[in-house]
Amino acid sequence: MNPRKLLFSVVTAFALLATACGGNSNATTTTGNETGTLTVWLMNGSAPQSVVDGVNADFKAKHPNVTVDVQIQQWSDVTTKLDTAFAGSTPPDVVELGNTLVAKYAANTALADITSKKGSFENSGTWLQSLTDSCTYQGKLYCVPYYAGSRAIIYRTDMFAAAGVQPPTSIDDLLTVGQKLMTKYSSDPNFSALYFPGKYWYAAAPFVWDFGGDIATQSGSKWQGSINSSQSQQGLSTLNNLVSKLSRADKTGDELKQDQAFAQGHIAMIVANGWEVGVITDPKAGDPSLKDKLGAFPIPSHTPGQTAPVFLGGSDLAIAAHSQHQALAREWVGLLGGTKFQSQMVTVGGVIPNTTSLVSLSSGLPAIFAAAAKNSRFTPNSPNWANVESANVLQDMLVSIFTSKSTIPDATSAASNKITNILNS
Amino acid sequence: MGVAGDARARVTAGTNIEAGPSRHVIARTLLPYVLIAPAVVVIAGVLGYPLAMLLWLSTQHYGLRELFQHQGEFVGLANFATILGDSEFRHVVLISVVFTVVNVGVSMLIATGIALLLERLSRPVRILLSSGLVLVWATPVIPAINLWQWMFDYEFGVVNWLLTHLGAGNYIHHNWFENPLQGFTVITVIVVWGAIPFLALMLYAGLTQVPRELVEAAEIDGARPWQVFAMVTVPILRPLFLILFSLSTIWDFQVFNQVWVLLNQRPSKDYFLISVYSFQESFRVSKFGLGAAAAVVMVAILLVVTFVYVRQTVRLTTEEAV
Amino acid sequence: MRRRTVSRTFYDALGLLIFAVMLFPIYWMVSTALKPGKEILSLTPVWFPSHVTFDNFRTAINVPFFWNDVANSLIVVLTVVGISIVLAFFAAVSVARFGFRGRTAFIVMIIAVQMVPLNALVIPVYLLLNQVGQVDSLPGVIAYYLAIVLPFMVWTLRGFVANVPVDLEEAAMVDGATRVGAFLRIVFPLVAPGLVATAIYGFIQAWNEYIIAYVLLSSNSKQTLTIWLASFTTQHGTDWGGLMAGATLTALPVVVFFLIVQRHVAGGLTAGAVKG
Repeated sequence: MNPRKLLFSVVTAFALLATACGGNSNATTTTGNETGTLTVWLMNGSAPQSVVDGVNADFKAKHPNVTVDVQIQQWSDVTTKLDTAFAGSTPPDVVELGNTLVAKYAANTALADITSKKGSFENSGTWLQSLTDSCTYQGKLYCVPYYAGSRAIIYRTDMFAAAGVQPPTSIDDLLTVGQKLMTKYSSDPNFSALYFPGKYWYAAAPFVWDFGGDIATQSGSKWQGSINSSQSQQGLSTLNNLVSKLSRADKTGDELKQDQAFAQGHIAMIVANGWEVGVITDPKAGDPSLKDKLGAFPIPSHTPGQTAPVFLGGSDLAIAAHSQHQALAREWVGLLGGTKFQSQMVTVGGVIPNTTSLVSLSSGLPAIFAAAAKNSRFTPNSPNWANVESANVLQDMLVSIFTSKSTIPDATSAASNKITNILNS
Repeated sequence: MGVAGDARARVTAGTNIEAGPSRHVIARTLLPYVLIAPAVVVIAGVLGYPLAMLLWLSTQHYGLRELFQHQGEFVGLANFATILGDSEFRHVVLISVVFTVVNVGVSMLIATGIALLLERLSRPVRILLSSGLVLVWATPVIPAINLWQWMFDYEFGVVNWLLTHLGAGNYIHHNWFENPLQGFTVITVIVVWGAIPFLALMLYAGLTQVPRELVEAAEIDGARPWQVFAMVTVPILRPLFLILFSLSTIWDFQVFNQVWVLLNQRPSKDYFLISVYSFQESFRVSKFGLGAAAAVVMVAILLVVTFVYVRQTVRLTTEEAV
Repeated sequence: MRRRTVSRTFYDALGLLIFAVMLFPIYWMVSTALKPGKEILSLTPVWFPSHVTFDNFRTAINVPFFWNDVANSLIVVLTVVGISIVLAFFAAVSVARFGFRGRTAFIVMIIAVQMVPLNALVIPVYLLLNQVGQVDSLPGVIAYYLAIVLPFMVWTLRGFVANVPVDLEEAAMVDGATRVGAFLRIVFPLVAPGLVATAIYGFIQAWNEYIIAYVLLSSNSKQTLTIWLASFTTQHGTDWGGLMAGATLTALPVVVFFLIVQRHVAGGLTAGAVKG
């Protein structure tokens, strides 16, 4: 046995010993007599402090001897932090994960399987389907949906009124409305009717899905890229037409600064998340005077009167496989994912809750985004999906289409091959 | 009065606490070890194991599952065969080498110029400029890169606005990163900007050590300023130049944040430098073995490239030692 | 005489020009920190904030745990600089002035260590500190920073020590000082500029390091300022005004440190002493 292996087996032995000692709190139900510290990692900006305090207070009432340590983590390089934390001997008990990351950690044994406990979570029957999908890997449940975000189109009501147009009800209509706006503001060289940065894949996906296309399809354990199917190509070519006629955004840029750009007043529409309304009107980041001039409508379908499916973003709450407080961790997650605090997430936090039963709590603009979430899709649920994202396959494809570097059939079949390779590797 | 005089005067004032001759010899033999011991303990104690593990990782098939279970699979040199056989990786290495040569050259040239200038400035301007350089050096790297990102932004960039209004052409809605050559020029500007303060201040600190009498003697002999620089200054500062050249080479070959942050943590393949490649393989694609192998290749290249430096340094040290 | 004044004026003008070019991004950072939201990213650059606002600074220092982060950063950095400067000076003297077995190996080691990309060490360092129970603790971070700044400091200081002419030291010995005494009295003041420069280097490295600090320190009360800087970026976008205010505040202590150190060490960087 080499020294490294020896070292690791010693560490593993200690870990096992520790697990055995912590067996008390590992029981399927909690008694209220547990002691120790429950460590929770939430991402910066995900839950309002009042909600976290409320969850902790309710938890404390049941488990007076358990200390809950909620540690806020930063987005920058979070996967590096998660990789090392799960590799170490003391990972956090509860961890918030972006929904596209769950499969990667679940498939690699970092997360606890909570399939058999699903029924004990409030509203688990009405969780948003796309979020539940993100928590499910090979038929097993590895996390509890936390909150969701979906995209719709934010528009300037004053510009629409000036151009004499109404929110469109189909993609063709969107083009007509956009062209009228372009004509109305033709004297402004910076004007975009629909501002669409070239790498904005999550805003492009609805067009692909709406025409019946998809990123990849699964048969058995094999994935097959399908972004080059005729339906997918039709969606992309429709989008390309819109972008070339209505957008002056950077065809090779991304969407990170679109809210600040919108606040400058030379843009009529952007595809955006619900929370971006807050950024646009924020006195520090945007322009508060736009508050009364904003409206939203769902991304229209090519079928008049219908809406296109949107990508559902969001976060899930998972429990580390090596956590020594499984039952306590589930209880804490159950509180934050339950009716009481999910309602607060909607009313105070302004996000889409994890269950369809609470979606109606949204009002005003957020309600439009919440409604869009009902017709939502998720990316291929493979542990390798994160690799497709980090290889920028779809972003690069969009850029080469928008900049006419390659034709749509060429760009899509190249991307599709890459996706097939990465997902099956 | 020169340095020597100063020093002699000060030493004569000191008291002698000399011990017997035999203790002196032992002390002379042991002293160098005693002096380096703490540094060796810290460096080896903290980095020894990680460096060994890095080497070990480069011979393993090591993904997330292996990382979480601390159970790799030995694959010998397969990781090295994979990356060295990959034309993409070889291209990355080539780009990194060219990038390093350009960046080291440009930064050393400008920094030497600034250091020489600092010597010739009036006191207030010198303090202003050197404090300014420290301010640049002190600016946290990541926000600094964000700043540059804005300055070269497609829509909001000051650079596009300035170039257009100064009549250099129409740069409104100019994308600096569409063409990698332009993109790397921007990256070079940022790297050089960040490197200059340190290099210039070190060189200036070195210049202050050049004995004034030597320079004056050369001037009296009728040497022109550049001759004084070439004949007097450079030879005296040779060890420092050697250090700064090799350090710059090492740092510029490792450039990471300037690419990673500038391109919003998802650079396209055109912008892969070797450190970006290694990080991407490790933390984005979770192939830690390949990432480690790329890092090892990186060190190997640096060792080869700086071999001359290292040998020179060792030789110089040997000559200098009493 | 006249020529001298003219060239001095020319040099000063050039110095001011370089100052302006180098400092422009810094000016942009500070002015951004003082701008209200709509002027931060603007199609026509706003050269001077129309009405100066300190809101961004207020937001920045009101981030929870800000003062904790300040204290932690100071503890980490001052410890690292204090210890490393002493250890590095000893090692530099040893390498520059003594011939001993193993010296070549030592030199090669300190050069080679710097060639390793630090990002590649994230996992190994984490696992090492995990095994000795120093994850989520400041001593672990301090030890790591010491190890990464030392090789550079030793190597650089070696150059400064080597630049002190040996005959000076010999002259001192002839005058009856001990070797150690001679070093402390003669070499130390002469390498002072080098000590200042390397101390600043160590300070900046430790002060600005992000990835290891973030990976190791999870408790909000144990984190350092770079993690606070990262907190201006959320999935809801980046608070640019806050980030720039934060960056300004982060850069200030280094400049203050520089000014203090350069004044107290005879022959600091700006004074240009050693000249007779």
